[in-house]
Amino acid sequence: MQLTLKQYNFIRIITVVILAIIFGQAIVIKNFLIPVILLVVGSLFLMYLRKQVKGILADERDYVIAGKAALLTMQIWSWFAVIAMFAFLALSDRDPVYQAIGMTISFSVCIFMLLYSVICRYYNKIKFTDKRLLFSAFILAIFLAFFIVGGLRLFSGEDNWVCKNGQWVSHGNPSSSAPTAECK
Amino acid sequence: MTQEELAEKSGVRRETIVFLEQDKYNPSLKLAHDVANALKTTIDKLFIF
Repeated sequence: MQLTLKQYNFIRIITVVILAIIFGQAIVIKNFLIPVILLVVGSLFLMYLRKQVKGILADERDYVIAGKAALLTMQIWSWFAVIAMFAFLALSDRDPVYQAIGMTISFSVCIFMLLYSVICRYYNKIKFTDKRLLFSAFILAIFLAFFIVGGLRLFSGEDNWVCKNGQWVSHGNPSSSAPTAECK
Repeated sequence: MTQEELAEKSGVRRETIVFLEQDKYNPSLKLAHDVANALKTTIDKLFIF
């Protein structure tokens, strides 16, 4: 099977729309396994289609544009996320949920920046040395540690205020004072 | 030679050839070489730097 660029783009859009609809429905029925499976299957399907395209999908101009767009996107997102993070952390007295949201945003920015720095360094220097594997393993270990620590911090449920019988009760040793919002 | 044919010979998309013609894109040395090769000429005759 050989596809033209137009056919590929058409199938890609249809695939993404179908996946988005199924994703939405799966989240509504609170089934999170379906989106994960679909994500993998969809990605593999698109990769297969990409290989069937006759002609050039992207050339050096596309990569230059993509690089500039990625850098600008990261800068805009970082600024937005930092402001949003401080806003959410400032509001955490009202509701502890805001703290979790603020922390999630701050972690996402950290991961973005770390990943960007690592990839830049890789393409700039490491790619041309024989330490590629060592560098990759080291970075993978750092990211795993980051995710484990971040995950434990976010999902442990420790050191937080919990609403019990109409009163805020400290769970663990929360760093902030009790929320001012009404506890129902 | 059409833009499509030149693009195919140079290994880029047609839009890139259009941008080159309109002086809206500075090609890499490799692309400049490939385009010049496809047109059976040299880089310094084809591009003004």
